This record gives sequence, structure tokens and C-alpha cells, in this order.
Amino acid sequence: MSFFFVEPEIYERYREEILRLSDSFQIDIQEHLPADVRKRALSDAEIADRLGLEERVVREIRVVAERDYYPIEEWERAIEFKDKACRAFSRHGLSYVFKYRDEL
Amino acid sequence: MEAGTSEATGSPEPPEERFSAGPIREIGQGAGALVVGVAAADAFNEFVPEGHRPKDVLPGAKSVIVAGNQGPTAGAWRSPDHRVMGITGYDFRENVAVHVMCDHIESEYGYRALQAPSLPTAGHHPPMSMMLAAVLAGLGTRSLAANIILHPDYGLLYYAALVTSLPLVPDHVMAQNVCPAKPCVQMFKELGTTPCLASCPKDEGGCLDGAIDDDGRISHSYYDRERCHTRSANFGVGSIQKSLVEIAGEPDPDRRRSMIDSDFFTNSLSAMSFYKESVAQCFECMRVCPVGQSHKRLK
Amino acid sequence: MSEPDPAKAKAALVEFATRAGAQVCGVADAEAFDAAPEGFRPEDLLPGAQRVFVIGGSAPRAADWASPLHEHQETMGTSDRIHSLGLKVAKFIESELGYYALFVPPGMNTGNRPFLSIALAAELSGCGSPSLAGPILHPQHGLLYYSAIVTTLALPPDGPAREAACPAPACVEMFENEATVPCVAVCPISDGGCLGGEIVDGRFANRRYDTAKCTTRVYTHWVPGFQKALGAALDETDPERRKMILYSSFFTRTLWSMTYASQSQAQCYECMRVCPVGADERALK
Repeated sequence: MSFFFVEPEIYERYREEILRLSDSFQIDIQEHLPADVRKRALSDAEIADRLGLEERVVREIRVVAERDYYPIEEWERAIEFKDKACRAFSRHGLSYVFKYRDEL
Repeated sequence: MEAGTSEATGSPEPPEERFSAGPIREIGQGAGALVVGVAAADAFNEFVPEGHRPKDVLPGAKSVIVAGNQGPTAGAWRSPDHRVMGITGYDFRENVAVHVMCDHIESEYGYRALQAPSLPTAGHHPPMSMMLAAVLAGLGTRSLAANIILHPDYGLLYYAALVTSLPLVPDHVMAQNVCPAKPCVQMFKELGTTPCLASCPKDEGGCLDGAIDDDGRISHSYYDRERCHTRSANFGVGSIQKSLVEIAGEPDPDRRRSMIDSDFFTNSLSAMSFYKESVAQCFECMRVCPVGQSHKRLK
Repeated sequence: MSEPDPAKAKAALVEFATRAGAQVCGVADAEAFDAAPEGFRPEDLLPGAQRVFVIGGSAPRAADWASPLHEHQETMGTSDRIHSLGLKVAKFIESELGYYALFVPPGMNTGNRPFLSIALAAELSGCGSPSLAGPILHPQHGLLYYSAIVTTLALPPDGPAREAACPAPACVEMFENEATVPCVAVCPISDGGCLGGEIVDGRFANRRYDTAKCTTRVYTHWVPGFQKALGAALDETDPERRKMILYSSFFTRTLWSMTYASQSQAQCYECMRVCPVGADERALK
């Protein structure tokens, strides 16, 4: 092995599950929530235990999946989103999010 | 041996002496921190898995000291050009304060102190969460807006922390949640949303969703960090990787050259070189947050 | 501005630097840099250069050395603080003493060569002495980060240290018993590491150092790692496998390290971790 990376087949098999268990999508993590309601992401080691994989493999799949999740077009859309939102705020202040959504 | 008992006698161990954090807090504030708070190192155990706790970074860790500072100036918040804050939104003063406090603890108290590792070492993951540290140090609470920690007076602050073997009297986690602010509770009752959720709604291609219960507390929150990354780190590590996949896969040399010279790829490389540019590049949910607005209004 | 007395100017400069956080200061004669190749000497950076003022400090703290997480020092082992102090000292020389002062850039010039070897400047100013492991060691503090300022002000020079900090007495004794020393034992060139050498008459001798190997450890995730990974990605013809390389954790970290270059440049501390010079200062509660 000259360079450690996961083969595409392994990656495709586990990517969704690993992202779901990690902190890519954070749901109900507020510290004030009751312990039985509050959720937390699993570490790579915990995910590895659960899926029966090596920790390094889990980490590798997670890192690739984080980058892979949205296509490059989403980065382009981000520029447009911020430009419109920032200019709408500059014109109308905080109320733009309700009254002037058509400018977004 | 049972916890809290002496191995030799079996009698209860005397409580560990804890130092007041006052003098260190002053040193940190003198070095540029706007706010300084203290968390007990053990307090992290309930919220983060093994491998991401203070004791994983520094064996024998007793305390975590957190320094917070404001990011953009009031003027920057008013700029209609979103790229202004994308480039100048961060000045790292809280990191300077952390270094000064570390030096002070090691030289004056004779205890160990290190800057908590907060840069990513595996994908998006840093070894320690500065956001959790800020909560546990009583400096703020999580918001509906990307779980960002809001200070009750200043709203959005940037945080850095140190881990030390020095036992300090910790501050308390805030009893009252900063988010949602009163106007947001009212708004949620009437409209079923808040300014931050409305600025970046999950159901319309954004990052956020959430709910507020009848007691005015956050009862549900959703945050799509991967989409947020495309916005808050629009140009930088991620966009370079995305671009390289496209560039390397492009068979036509002329098209490939255009991609390399494109504004998008140029901005990406520039952001990586001038690292302040790559830290925070989206402020839209915070721009409309009512908490800390009084500090953003000037003549 | 009146002509400053060189001795008084030096005292004022040392006091300023010390108050600002320098642990050691020293002055090297600009003409003493014979060991540096032409084009990389003080006069090449600043015509009329007389001296090089060197400050040392801001090395990893006791707690940094105690962390079991190697990623900690890889991402937090900044040399930024000593360089920001170096810039302050340069400004002090110009504004308070009225002489030219050039802060030596910490980056590389051409062909992996620095503009001026700051390690050589530290040695020639007496701030420390070379070690078998490589870094300049101060006899009391051990490893320090250094910054250098070339100036036209003819401060009284200190010259190189008379006593070498390396090898420490404990290392001399270890070599007598085990034919190795801690730094070599942890990274032996004979076993895939970077260092080799011996101790003869109480001094280190026959030093061997594999620069290229050290680069893979010190700059694992920085520019050299990026170049290697990019090469592997471009060599890969299968688009899906290429994506796995370009999105990999290794490649991602190289980009983060380049982004945070001032924090992430030094990524291996193992030979220094076991060095006894300055170890007393790394022992705290």
C-alpha cells in the first residue's frame, strides 16, 4: 500500500450509515435537553465497534463522505445565497427574512 | 480502592483544594479576551465520547479555561457585500489570551497548561469541541442557529480554550438558555419559525430546522453541517478538493486550463493561503439573531 | 536621533525583548556567517548589515510535551509567537534606535533554503548550540523557537556559546553503556529513522541525518505531503479511486495544515521529546 485510501466499493457500502452516526447532521444535541432526549454523535471508534470495521477505515469513509455529500454546485449556490441574503439585510434589516423573502 | 477514599486508611480523602480563577481571568481579559470562563475537565464526559475529552489531550487535566471574543465589527455586519466578513470576520485574539494564560499557569502556579487542540485533524473533527467548552464554562448556550453558542450579552463570540492540571473553581452552566430570545419565542408562536430558521430553512435548501415548546425552550433542533460547510467554508479546503476532482477528470486541456484559472478556484486557493478567509464565510443565521444586537448598533 | 551607545542600545533591546516574552537573546556578527552559502548571508538580505539579533522562546510548554495525542503538537505547536515578537524587535530598533532592522522571514526562499538560517544565527549569537538531533539547544531551556533580525546597528556581539549543550551528561553516560543516546534511539537511521551518530571524547561525532526522511515526519501533512498525495491522485486513472484520494483524510489534513501553516509546520517532536536538555523545565504538576 503506497497511500491509504478506501476502495470505492467499501466506501459506497458504508458511507450513508457512517454519516448518519457521526455529526454531519446534528439533531437535538442541546445540553439542556433531558438525557433521554438529547442525542450525540458517535466517535469513529464507537462507529467502528458498531459496524465491525477498523477505526481508521471508518474515519476514512467519514472524511470522504463529508466532502462527497454535496456536489460542487452546492458551493456555487452558497455564493448566491449569501450575496442575496446579505444585500436583503442591508436594505431591510432583520425583517427581510419575513417580509422580503422574494428578494432571496 | 473506592473513589474518594484513601488507599492506606480507607477513610474519605480530603476534598481537593481548588484555586480561584479570578487572577487568571484577569490575565486573560488583559490579554484581549472579552469573556473568560472555567469548566471542570470531568464535565465533558457526559457530552462527548472518549477520545475527545480534556483528559485525552492532557492526562491529569482538572480544568478547562475558555476565552471568548467578538468577531466582526458592527461596521462589518452592516456591509452589503458578504465577502467582507468572509475575509475579515475573525482576528484570533482569544487565542492570544489563551497563550498568555497558559504561560501564566505554568510559570506562576507550576501546573501544566496547553492550548486546547481545536483545528481539524480528521475531516471536520477537531480533537476537542470549543463550543461545548464554552457551554460548560458558563459563557453561553447553544442556539437553533447551527448550534452556535450565544453569549447572553454579546451573542456570537469566537472561543478558544486551554486545558490545565490546575484545579480551579469552575463556573456554572447557565441556568437560563440564551436561545430562544423572547422575540423569537413570540415569533415562533405566531409564525412557526424564528429569524435564524427563516434565514436558512432546511426545507428550502438551507441548513436549519427546529421547534420551541410552550415553555419557550428549544424542544427540537436540526443542523445540516455538510450544507453549512459549503457556505461557511465556501472557499478553502473543501472547494479545492471539489475543484481538483473536476479538474483532474477533465480530458480537454483548454477546459482544464479554464477551470484552473477560474475565479472559483483562484478564490479557493487564496482562502487557503490567507487562512483567516477560510474560517468563517457565512453569517446569515447570525446576522438576523436578536441576541447581542445592541453591540451592533452604532452611529 | 542621537547616536546610541552600542552597549546601552543592546541592554535596551534585550530588556524590551525580554519584557515582550523572549527567554533568551544574543547578538551574532554579520560577518561570521561563513558556513552559509553566498546569497544567504546577512549582507545579502540587508546591505550594510552589521549584526544579527536573535531571540528565543515560545517553545511547546510542559503540558504540550505531556499530551499523549501527537496531533496536539502537530496542530498547536505554533512558532508564530516568536516571529511576531521578532517583528516587534525589528520595529523597536528602527523607531527607537534609528538603524535599519530586517526581520528575517521564517519561510523558505528558493530550493528549500531559508532566506537566512535562523538556526545558524542562534548558534552564532550564543543562544544555543547544535545538537545531534539537529535543533539548536539552549543549555537551560533545551528546544526553543528562534527569530532573527538583521541590523545595521553594530551591537556588541556575543559570539557562539563556549560550552555545548549537547550531549548532556546523561547522554554521555548512556552512550558508554548502550552505544546510543535517546534521540538516536527513538529515530535510528539504521532502522528506518533519521538520526545516527556517536559520542567521542564527550562530544557528538559522525552525525548522520536523513533530511528526506525527516521531511516525511516533520511535514507529514504540509506542502510535501500535499505534493505526494496530489501526485498519487493524478497518477490514478480510475475517477472513483482518484476521488477517494482527493477527498481522503490524508489529503484533507495536508490542506488544513497549509491553511493553518503557522500552527502546523512542525509535525514531529519525537527526538526532542526524549532529550534531557531542558527536561527539568518540562516537569510540572
